[in-house]
Amino acid sequence: MSFIEFKNVCKMYPGSKVNTVDNFNLNIDEKEFIAFVGPSGCGKSTTLRMIAGFEEITGGELYIDGKKVNDVAPRDRGIAMVFQNYALYPHMTVEKNIGYGLKNMKMPAAEIKKKVDWAIHILGLEEYRYRKPKNLSGGQRQRVALGRAIVKNQKLFLMDEPLSNLDAKLRVSMRTEISKLHRELGATTIYVTHDQVEAMTMADRIVIMKDGVIQQVGKPMELYDHPVNQFVAGFIGSPQMNFYDVTVDGTSVKFADGSILTLPDDVAKKLEGGHSGEMTFGIRGEDIKLVDSTEAGKENVQSAVITDTEVMGNENNLYFEFGGSQSVARVSKYELSQIGDRIYFEFVPAKVHFFDKDTGVNYMEQ
Amino acid sequence: MFTKKQRRINWILVAVLLVLSIFFLFPVIWMLANSFKPDAAITADMNSIAAFIPPAPSGSFFDNYVSIITNTSFLRYMGNTLLYAAILIVLSIIVNGLAGYALAKIQFPFRDQWLMLIIMLLIVPTETVITIHFLIIAKAGLLNTIVGYILPLIVNPFNIYLFRQVFVSLPDDVYEAAQLDYCGPVKYFFTMVLPMSKTVVATVSVFTFLNVWNDYLWPSLVFTSSDLLTAQIGLNSITSNENTTMGQTLAVITLVTIPVIIIYSLFSKQIVEGVTSTGSKEG
Amino acid sequence: MKRKNSIMGMAFFGPALVLLTLFMFLPMLLTLGFSFTDYFALNPELTHFVGLENYLNIFKDDLFVQSFLNTVKFVIIIVPLQCGGALLLALAINKAAHCKKYFKVAFFVPVVMSLAVVSTLWMQIYSPEGILNTLLAHIGIDTQPFIHSAKQALPSIAIMSVWQGVGYQMIIFLGGLQNINPALYEAAEMDHASAWQKFKDITLPELKPLCIFVFITVTIGAFRMLVQPMVMTGGGPDHSTYTIVYDIYETGTVNWEMGLASTMAIVFTIFVVILTIIQNTLTKDREGRKNVHKKAKTN
Repeated sequence: MSFIEFKNVCKMYPGSKVNTVDNFNLNIDEKEFIAFVGPSGCGKSTTLRMIAGFEEITGGELYIDGKKVNDVAPRDRGIAMVFQNYALYPHMTVEKNIGYGLKNMKMPAAEIKKKVDWAIHILGLEEYRYRKPKNLSGGQRQRVALGRAIVKNQKLFLMDEPLSNLDAKLRVSMRTEISKLHRELGATTIYVTHDQVEAMTMADRIVIMKDGVIQQVGKPMELYDHPVNQFVAGFIGSPQMNFYDVTVDGTSVKFADGSILTLPDDVAKKLEGGHSGEMTFGIRGEDIKLVDSTEAGKENVQSAVITDTEVMGNENNLYFEFGGSQSVARVSKYELSQIGDRIYFEFVPAKVHFFDKDTGVNYMEQ
Repeated sequence: MFTKKQRRINWILVAVLLVLSIFFLFPVIWMLANSFKPDAAITADMNSIAAFIPPAPSGSFFDNYVSIITNTSFLRYMGNTLLYAAILIVLSIIVNGLAGYALAKIQFPFRDQWLMLIIMLLIVPTETVITIHFLIIAKAGLLNTIVGYILPLIVNPFNIYLFRQVFVSLPDDVYEAAQLDYCGPVKYFFTMVLPMSKTVVATVSVFTFLNVWNDYLWPSLVFTSSDLLTAQIGLNSITSNENTTMGQTLAVITLVTIPVIIIYSLFSKQIVEGVTSTGSKEG
Repeated sequence: MKRKNSIMGMAFFGPALVLLTLFMFLPMLLTLGFSFTDYFALNPELTHFVGLENYLNIFKDDLFVQSFLNTVKFVIIIVPLQCGGALLLALAINKAAHCKKYFKVAFFVPVVMSLAVVSTLWMQIYSPEGILNTLLAHIGIDTQPFIHSAKQALPSIAIMSVWQGVGYQMIIFLGGLQNINPALYEAAEMDHASAWQKFKDITLPELKPLCIFVFITVTIGAFRMLVQPMVMTGGGPDHSTYTIVYDIYETGTVNWEMGLASTMAIVFTIFVVILTIIQNTLTKDREGRKNVHKKAKTN
């Protein structure tokens, strides 16, 4: 049996007619780092709060460590939680904040001190031990919140957008810190975020949600390379995947502006099973390969005029109009061009996706 | 910065205010100055500027005060009032605070209706119910007891409302974090909510103290004659005594004002904020 | 979870609810109930339902009518003096470039003193051989009886009350004046507004809601006049300083005629409630307009 088991878990708020979280089924193994990701309002935080016990589960069953916890009080579920706004006790020092739970567990003072010392050391909070939260920076506050969670030795950590209030640079360093903590402590961690980069960089597995429904569960690269639908394909990855309205007829793909792409046989085969006609064609920016201008006019070589560039040095984005849509290609610094330049490019055949126009299902992943 | 004309207006304004303020303070200065004088000196000084100047310090400087303290129970009355105020501060923070917290943060049946009712009670003047309070306390046989005095004063719709308004903006996640730290709701209220809301606790304490200290009608009804009198009632019974001299009267009313002045100077910021906020909130 | 919240909520709200029931709801219901009876607390067995008789009787009762008129007189003297005085003081102090802090304290000192203290002090000041008459003698005015004459007692007490209370409203107005955005005056300066125009077009409109608030609270306060006449004159001479609340208090707790006292209390409460409702509607109207302002700004 898995460490955490969701069985058709639903959440319906009073006065609402639809489930905020709908038929949530998921198994999480011990020591796993799971990220719930999705746009705001997708039900990821609600799901987390149902695990914590702060939201009532209105349908289905939830098991933690083999025990059904639907009616168990939050404090008895064996969890520790890190909150978005830190939720530190404002009138207590860092030390008292971290040790408060242990004190309430009636742990001997000497042992509390040992544990608090350990947490303070591991998080590098020695200097701030006697400060109150209002005299700490955002990053330091989040460390205290982490400290409060780790001293209690719980087997399950819940983190609700813990980095969303930090500035970009701090977010990156806290990301590695949380990953490191997870490796050292080995506690099962469920991490809620709206930031797909956080999910990709930290999680063993990612759960993508939309409108209360799980879209896909998988390892980061699985989701990136093999999105099951257009929503996942669009949500994961930056810049966003390029999408085009196309008409498919056998091996030929016709774009809205009349451009034609001829698919290799193996790709066309994958599309077989009656999938033809109008659909959505998707390709990531880095899978658009620039070719030399001498290749112009050859089969499958497209061309466009650059309308905008985004130069970051190591990676650069070229924006252009193609196939009736705004498109982006990700290129190396050797391939940089100027606005107004004409470029010639090909789509990497093995990396193309075709989505159903209505359901968004990815035909290539069936 | 100022033009010549503005500067002239300013000096006229300041001069007028200075004169006015002196007129305003005359009664208080006269009270203080003459509380150190025997009656003969008060009458003798009445006709000159000396009426507003305290006598030169001498052996008899504090005579009026000493005779009040030694010959009457006034210190005891002051002590009583301090005790009542202390009890009422503690009880009203607990009772009104818990109620305010429930109305702010706990979903219980008819919560919003209770809140409406509390707000409506804010309008009702205490004079409406004070005779019935008296009747209830009398029927309960609690006249002339501390319990009888304190019981009707504990709950206060205004304090409940004040607490509620402050508690409603406390973050919920701190309560959730505390739950995971094995802190129950009652413990949370006393060890988290109250310390996090020091300002409103201070405001309620200060205003409870001032109410108890300055209240006249209710203690005059409950305490008829005994050692339980509050300072204001004691003051009245001492000054209406034929044998009390004018100097002693002035000494008593000075004495009874001293604690209030201490409170005002310690908490002037909270009080002024409280006073102005009643205005800006209602307005 | 829902049940747990209900239990916790009632446990937290319970103590207050018990006391509210005992000392607010029950007394209010009793007051209303008694007002239709001739309840005499020393002989409760002989209580009869009398309908609206009390309500008709109190307006035929000379003493109640007089106490009512006296209260109105107090209101008429106190309200303009205290509201106007507070506003003028606040405007002047706000404008003064020097001694601001001293002025604030000086005019606030009487507020600090309790009603009983102030009343006792002014009994000395008003006494025939007192300091006020001595001062008046210096400028050639004969000895005045003040609180010892039916004619002068009421105005004397009213003036003293203004002296005692004006500092409180002054602080409220000062707070309001400090809340006015100084940019408004700077903009008016750019538009060549005169000092009077600035006062009329910026200060007054901005202070209007506070004026309403102060006006109503001072009116209610004057309506509740009790301690001052109680300590200074005992309602006399000739009941010239007897007030509604004084009448309620004596009828109920001295004469034990709870039925009659309750009727007076109900009439009194109705007045206070009406005043509060007037204030609420007047200030709510402004809030509505303020919201329109805000919307216009964001657009």
